[in-house]
Amino acid sequence: MRQFLLGFAIACVGLIWLRHDQNQQILSLLRLFKHPDSRKDSKTPLWIQLRYAIKLSLAHQEKLANLLEISQALLQNAPIGYLQVDEEDRLIYCNHQAEQILSLQGWPSQKHRLFLEVIHSYELDQLLGQTRDQQTPAVKEWLYHPVCVDGNQLKQQQGTFLKASSLPLPERQVGVYLENQQQLIELSQNHHQWFIDLAHELRTPLTAINLVAEYLAKRIAEEDRPWLQQLQNQTHRLIELVQNWLELSRTHQHPLKTLQPQSVELCSLIQEVWQGLALLGEEKQITLDIKTPDQVWLSADRTRLGQVFTNVLHNAIKHSPAQAVVYLEIHQTSSGDSPYVEVNVIDTGSGFSSADLPYIFERYYRGNSDHSYHEFGHGLGLAIVEEIILAHGGSITARNHPETAGAWLQITLPTDSQI
Amino acid sequence: MSLSLYGAQADDTTFRKKLRRLEQNVLRMGTMVETTFRLSHQALFNRDLTVVDGISRLDDEIDCYYRQIEVSCTELIIQQGLVAQDLRIISAFMQLVRDIERIGDYAEDLSEIAVKLFAYPVHSCMGEIEAMSHHAQAMLAKSLVALGDLDGTSGAAIKRLDDVVDDAYDRLYQTIAYQRDIVGVVEPLVLMTLVIRSLERMADHATNIGQRVSYIVTGQRN
Repeated sequence: MRQFLLGFAIACVGLIWLRHDQNQQILSLLRLFKHPDSRKDSKTPLWIQLRYAIKLSLAHQEKLANLLEISQALLQNAPIGYLQVDEEDRLIYCNHQAEQILSLQGWPSQKHRLFLEVIHSYELDQLLGQTRDQQTPAVKEWLYHPVCVDGNQLKQQQGTFLKASSLPLPERQVGVYLENQQQLIELSQNHHQWFIDLAHELRTPLTAINLVAEYLAKRIAEEDRPWLQQLQNQTHRLIELVQNWLELSRTHQHPLKTLQPQSVELCSLIQEVWQGLALLGEEKQITLDIKTPDQVWLSADRTRLGQVFTNVLHNAIKHSPAQAVVYLEIHQTSSGDSPYVEVNVIDTGSGFSSADLPYIFERYYRGNSDHSYHEFGHGLGLAIVEEIILAHGGSITARNHPETAGAWLQITLPTDSQI
Repeated sequence: MSLSLYGAQADDTTFRKKLRRLEQNVLRMGTMVETTFRLSHQALFNRDLTVVDGISRLDDEIDCYYRQIEVSCTELIIQQGLVAQDLRIISAFMQLVRDIERIGDYAEDLSEIAVKLFAYPVHSCMGEIEAMSHHAQAMLAKSLVALGDLDGTSGAAIKRLDDVVDDAYDRLYQTIAYQRDIVGVVEPLVLMTLVIRSLERMADHATNIGQRVSYIVTGQRN
């Protein structure tokens, strides 16, 4: 009998322990389903609470599925293009508009293919890489040429101006919004052409009117002269106005003179440019020794200034021996009361030949000696660099550095100017 | 089947990832050469010399990729347990990047010729040479599409396109070589001959790419 009671007691304890264990498991399940609406009433049996929690969670899940469906439909039919690639640059999503803009054929059978297999765009490839490496959004505009395998069609193909804005996503994926800028560009070109045509049309009759007025001036009565003077003054004003319009449109045709200034942080811009050239630098194991203040802000055209430093640093890499160091120093200083920033780029190559030095900034000038610094670039590189720097109100000088004997380019840019 | 989906069953082995990275670099190099070709066309036929600097920079980058790809190919090839098609792909890549790189070099030559030709008036042959350049560019695009799609049948079609370019070369050569009553120096004629020669070579290299893709798919050399 005692043995029976003992056995019974042990079984009871075991049962209670089992029950307790089950309850703990249900409670932890409930915590998993934690939902704002779930009842906190401790009197309701746990299994009812669990059933309720599952029901709520299913409803919630359905709601989310609906939301997802709506968002996907919105994205699919959005008026701007969107595509997404995974960490290996495989296309995982592409909406209707993006298919149209990029002239993609056969999507979605192209899903999970490398995007370079279907879209031959060096610019987009660069944008994706840059966004993934730097984990910051970026924008790029360029003339896109869809893949064309017919030589006769290629003649008609003009390309499309595209604007792509990228976004870094989790798991090293990248999303890109695409906008077709073609109409905008054409519109502005048409508008511009219309403007030039109008100015030209006006100039001819105005010149004729002016000539007639001059002719008449000698022949009319003294008392009428003031009237004619009035006429001539107004005609001159109109001619001047038209002349100014034409002048303006001319600067438009030389984009170097029309800068788009914005606030630019010089040091980070240079770092960015250097990263863009990293592959070339690594190839020759060239390191950049950079000494800069923390931040230098100036008002400048970011793209153009980027072009300047790409050109200058590319030259420096190209003309440095392997495993060399390129020195870049930035000083902030001032002359009189106008502050400016001075950027020195020094390499350890063979430098400029003294015969070339006076001409290196001239358009189409190419160095004479075989190993001259200037042989790269077909004569336009440094000329454009200088033009951009001058347009920013800065200056550039070239000489050989006394210590390294390599090329030394010194660029100054005003830090307070409004261009 | 496309290049990146090839062998997808064993999708995530390190080898597959490395192979995909390699494919991507080959395609990237192809796209860069397409861009260089397009820019040099612009310099030559639109007389737009502002693109010339960009071309030489791109070409340096293309050369970097070329060397990188060769090294990666060697690294992959010494791995054990490769199946026949893997080996064919890798060895075809090694040859094919050589062709791509050569096309890039010729494109850079074209841009240098464009600078020299700039000083002379436009010759009446330039229209026909432009059409020849368009054909060569289309062949390059087609061979790169064939590569991306692993399309073994394109090889023959690209070879037929090459005949069009070869015919244009012969015709233009005749026109330029037998021109009479030449006024001034012969430099523009020499330069134009170099242009058509380069274009003809570029088309040949594009044909090679198509052939190598066929080899990857079928294992047969044509």
